[in-house]
Amino acid sequence: MPRPGRRELAFLAGAIVIATAASAQTAGGPKLLPADQAFKLSARALDAKSVEVRFNVADGYYLYRDKLRFKIEPAPVAAGAPALPPGKPHKDEFFGESITYRGLLVVKLPIAGAKPGQAVTLIADSQGCADAGVCYPPQTQRVELTLPVAGAGASITVEATPPRKDYFK
Amino acid sequence: MTVRAPTLIAAVVLAAFALAAGLWFDQSRPAATSVESSPVTPLLGITLPDPDGKDQAIAQWKGKILVVNFWATWCAPCREEMPMFMRLQEAQRGKGVQFVGIAVDNADKVRQYASDLKLNYPTLIGGFGAMELSKSLGISVMALPFTVIVDRSGKVAHTQLGPLKEDQLLSILRQLA
Repeated sequence: MPRPGRRELAFLAGAIVIATAASAQTAGGPKLLPADQAFKLSARALDAKSVEVRFNVADGYYLYRDKLRFKIEPAPVAAGAPALPPGKPHKDEFFGESITYRGLLVVKLPIAGAKPGQAVTLIADSQGCADAGVCYPPQTQRVELTLPVAGAGASITVEATPPRKDYFK
Repeated sequence: MTVRAPTLIAAVVLAAFALAAGLWFDQSRPAATSVESSPVTPLLGITLPDPDGKDQAIAQWKGKILVVNFWATWCAPCREEMPMFMRLQEAQRGKGVQFVGIAVDNADKVRQYASDLKLNYPTLIGGFGAMELSKSLGISVMALPFTVIVDRSGKVAHTQLGPLKEDQLLSILRQLA
C-alpha cells in the first residue's frame, strides 16, 4: 500500500472535520426549540376582571399542570384561581401520574383590584419537557397587557416579552 | 522514522476530532481562535458549592476522564440515567473515570435526592449559572440532562443534550482511556 501523501492527508483531515462538525449537533442529541418557543405564551384581557392566558405548546413537547403559576402585577391587582382544563395524564417512572398539557392550553384567569384601562403584567411560571427526553428549567414569562376600558371588547392578544429567566425564586 | 499508515490515519482522525471539538466550542465566541490550540474547557475553571455549601473546584479532577452531568430533581429523564452513571462510576473508577453532577436545583432537594439514591459520585449545586455555562459549552438550548465528557488533558471530547445510552457512553470512555 502506498504511503498517503500530504495532500491526501490534508483532504482527509478536512473531510473529517467537516463531517464531524456537521454531525456534532445531531450526534450530541436531539434538535430542540428554546423553552420560550416550545411553550409560546400569549394573553389578552377579556375585561377588567379577567385575562385569557394561552400556551401554544409545540408538537412533541408538554407542560406540567402542577408547575403552572400565574400572577398579575402591580399590587393591589392580583390574580385569582386559574381555571385549568383537565389535561392528560402522563406517567413517568419517577413522578408517577402527573397531568400534562399538549397543543393549545387556554386558561381563564380572574383578576381582582384592577381598574378598566389599567396596564398590568401577567407573570406565568411553567415547566415542561420534550418527548425527545429532555426537560427545560422552570421558566418565567411575562405579558404586558392593557385592560379594556368599560364597554370595550377584549384587548388584542399580546405575545410574551422576550424571556427573563428566573429559575429559582 | 517510519510511521505506518494505520497509525498515521488514527493520528489524523484524532487530530480532526480535536479540531472539530475546538471549532464547535468556538462557535459561541465572537473572535476565532487558533484551532490548533483548542482550549481547555471553561468547566475546569469553575468552582461550585456542594450540597453542604462547601466550595468545590472542578479542577480538582483534572487529569481524569470527567463526565460532567447537568441534572435536576425536577427532570425525570435526568433521574432515569443516573443509576447507569452510578454503575459506570463504580466499574470505571480504577480507569480514572470521574463522574460529577451539576444540579440545576436547590441544595436541600439535591442533598435529599443524592442520599436517597446513595449517589456514589459528587454533585455540585449549579443553579442559573450552570445553565449559562451549558450555553457556553456549545448547546444553544438550555435543557436537561446535559452531559460534557472531558478528556485527561481538559478538552471537551463529547457534549450530549438529552440522555446518554450506556453503550454510547462506554464507547466514548473506551476511546479516551
